[in-house]
Amino acid sequence: MNLREQLTQLLTLAYVFLSAFVAWKALGLVTNSHSPIVVVLSGSMLPAFDRGDILLLWNRDQQARVGDIVVYEIADKSIPIVHRVLREHHSTEKQLLLTKGDNNMQDDLPLYAKGQLYLNQKTDLVGTAKFFFPKLGYVTILLTENQYFKFGLLGLMGISAVLTSE
Amino acid sequence: MFNLANRVQVLLNQTLTAVSVLTAAIALISVVQLYFAGVWSIDTTSISNVKAIALLKNLRSFGALHGKPKENSKIAFDLSADLTPLFHWNTKQIFVYLTAEYEGKLAGLSSRVTYWDKIITRREDATLSLKNARAKYLVWDVEKSFRGRNATLRLEWSIQPYVGAFVLGETLVGEDFAFASVKRKS
Repeated sequence: MNLREQLTQLLTLAYVFLSAFVAWKALGLVTNSHSPIVVVLSGSMLPAFDRGDILLLWNRDQQARVGDIVVYEIADKSIPIVHRVLREHHSTEKQLLLTKGDNNMQDDLPLYAKGQLYLNQKTDLVGTAKFFFPKLGYVTILLTENQYFKFGLLGLMGISAVLTSE
Repeated sequence: MFNLANRVQVLLNQTLTAVSVLTAAIALISVVQLYFAGVWSIDTTSISNVKAIALLKNLRSFGALHGKPKENSKIAFDLSADLTPLFHWNTKQIFVYLTAEYEGKLAGLSSRVTYWDKIITRREDATLSLKNARAKYLVWDVEKSFRGRNATLRLEWSIQPYVGAFVLGETLVGEDFAFASVKRKS
């Protein structure tokens, strides 16, 4: 075990993290979305989506369509919301949207910012959901919400790093 | 020499590649299959007996702002449709919705709003036959009022798959109706 070997290992690790980061950012560029892959966190779109389902977003549509499932962000609220477009009003310059969760009784008006009646298609959307993959995102939910899983996984990685460095 | 980390890495990579290829194949085949089932040319839908009602609402959750009452629109309708072609092995559910499309008072303004929707999860439930059904939603306009305008009702659908792409479409039948006006108290 010499210094050169350890440095090479460090380099490999940096390479793995960097390539993942570059791939993520490239996907963001292609889809024009700052978060092109989204994990569903709530049951408000049941039975279509459950917690942990993965959505691929696309944000280059000129207009949203009624029935589209869009991901939007509200100023001052950090969590993006995945809901369906209930109404759209568009002119040549802009499009206004009202959304609703399939599993909610009411539209999203109470979720919007104070005084906000509609979403702006250009500025409020993170993207439109185009592709669906079930359940796999539950790993990230476990990582953020379950302490045992998080530290268990970290511990396992640490142990394997120690054991394999011969 | 292969150590544990290498083995796990290779296994993960291969699984990821296999799952990606399989997912892409499933997504492609299900869209092609829908196309050949003719889902974008369903013309057996019938929307009729549309009755429009207008009413005033004072709550913010019905579009009223600054205490001024807002005109809301409601409809009753008959609907029959056969959406069984939308169901195949990769259809988890379909979301069926009745929309009205209309031009605004302002030039160039166009809107599409949902009056009624339904989630269907089984093929057996995909034939709809509604008599004098009430709209699920009260609808208000982005402008002040609907008065004096015509709208076209359409039955649209969206498929949520078990895995793959979301597919949207509408049935080929449209039905026109005129928005009602609020009755003034004399």
